[in-house]
Amino acid sequence: MSAQGTSTSTTKAAASDNKNGEPATEQKPAAPLEEDDEFEDFPLEDWPEEESQLPGGNAHLWEESWDDDDTNEEFAVQLREELKKLQK
Amino acid sequence: MQVALEPFLRAHAAQQGWGIADALSPIAPHDNPGRLYEFYRSTNEHQVENEVRNALKYNNNSRLAPKEAAAWTEIFVGYWRAIGEILRAEEASNQGRLRDRQLVDVYEAWKELTNQIVRQISNGNLPPWSLICMYHTANYLRMFAIKADEQLAKVKSNVAFSSGFQDDIVSTVARNEKLEETARILNKMFSLCLGDRNPDMGSSRKWGTYYMANLQFKTYFKLKNISLSRNIVRTIAVQTDLPPFEQFPTAHRVTYKYYVGVIAFLQEDYSKAETCLTEAWDHCLPESTRNQELILTYLIPCRLITKHNIPSQTLLSSYPHLQRIFGPLVTCIKSGDLSGFDNALAAAEDEFVKRRIYLTLERGRDIALRNLLRKVFLAGGYEELKEGQTEANRVRKTRIPLAHFATAFRMGTGGEGSGQSLEDDEVECMLANMIYKGLMKGYISREYQMVVLNKKGAFPGTGV
Repeated sequence: MSAQGTSTSTTKAAASDNKNGEPATEQKPAAPLEEDDEFEDFPLEDWPEEESQLPGGNAHLWEESWDDDDTNEEFAVQLREELKKLQK
Repeated sequence: MQVALEPFLRAHAAQQGWGIADALSPIAPHDNPGRLYEFYRSTNEHQVENEVRNALKYNNNSRLAPKEAAAWTEIFVGYWRAIGEILRAEEASNQGRLRDRQLVDVYEAWKELTNQIVRQISNGNLPPWSLICMYHTANYLRMFAIKADEQLAKVKSNVAFSSGFQDDIVSTVARNEKLEETARILNKMFSLCLGDRNPDMGSSRKWGTYYMANLQFKTYFKLKNISLSRNIVRTIAVQTDLPPFEQFPTAHRVTYKYYVGVIAFLQEDYSKAETCLTEAWDHCLPESTRNQELILTYLIPCRLITKHNIPSQTLLSSYPHLQRIFGPLVTCIKSGDLSGFDNALAAAEDEFVKRRIYLTLERGRDIALRNLLRKVFLAGGYEELKEGQTEANRVRKTRIPLAHFATAFRMGTGGEGSGQSLEDDEVECMLANMIYKGLMKGYISREYQMVVLNKKGAFPGTGV
């Protein structure tokens, strides 16, 4: 673990080897903390911008919620059949 | 004692705050599992204060001014006592005979230490780079408080059980006594950081503001007191003399943005939530997958509302848990499968409710419905080509009988277990709703039992 930029600001120091410290004393029952939405402590205090990027970047993470129209033919046929039944 | 304080003195000489935080950790380091035990055994209650004082005075590493030496002496004596409680609790727990209030004792001892550090920092007795040991101590205080409350709740419910009380009577008694007390201590620390008037930013406690805010968020969320979290956000927002946000350590910023995002989400301010959560996502440490998962847990429902976007398979496939709970929902939204959507929502209901995203996700049903109606529109095909028109600029049929929508709707909900069948009037009402919400553009002609859609942009944002 490295200590980055300990010089200037009081906070710019890397965290210790505190691994999201569940106190050693009470490790027996599985900690229910996993259960809720508590944000975990990061193993580092600071990291440079370029290390924040996920591998693969942010492209292709989101897509449109509607289907592209290739299945539409099938649906159209089905719909027409249903409508025919209706008219009988 | 001299040996035990060696790491502290080395860190102090090098002005490494994290090294000092390590020296005051309640957890033994991996490479020296016996550290706490040795430290505790090196002295006793009668001699601890003298021995610490002497060890700090006569050392070759660091020169401590008398006032600072006195401060550290008090801190290490408090630390020594807390370690004693921790070791006793650990031993008792290993032997399966933990006393009823033993974890409370651990908490109380750690609280003494925490208060001592706060006092010394606010009196200006410690160097500014030692602020980091206040963070760490505070973080552990929170954890000890949670454990103590758990033990207290257990003891209380045992008592209540044997005396024949109902569970719900017990739960009305203050259940989070120690964590609430911790919240007050954290608030004091937060003010201590935020209110530092030292004009020299290099040594200002203001650098601790976001870290302390984050600890408070974690505590208030655990206490289910979101409104107090909002107060913190507001307090910080009106500060004019904080250093620029980008200059704070990334860990502080990402955590802060996550909580501000979730708080905005819970207030249904989805656009603010999206901005904050996206920022947290963009700067998150790649190996912290659990945190990424948490960010996405709120960002996914958020984007569904703000952008009508869904996560791609690529994104979901990296997070098996999210894949399991959101995957089916997303598939059904996309295909306009209403019964499937209802089932998927019901299947993960517990999880969604616990995460407070159920009601937001429920609104995704409109998107699924929009997609179903859109299909009806597409299935209607095109108007006959008029003179001069080409395939390229032909127009879709925009007058669609209500019956078509009703039929499609019944197909969409006809699946197993739906038990839904809608009257024609209800279908009409639903269409009116979609128009009202802006998901579909057009009007209903009751006279002709037709829906007349806009020629351009009948379903805004979907390319038709």
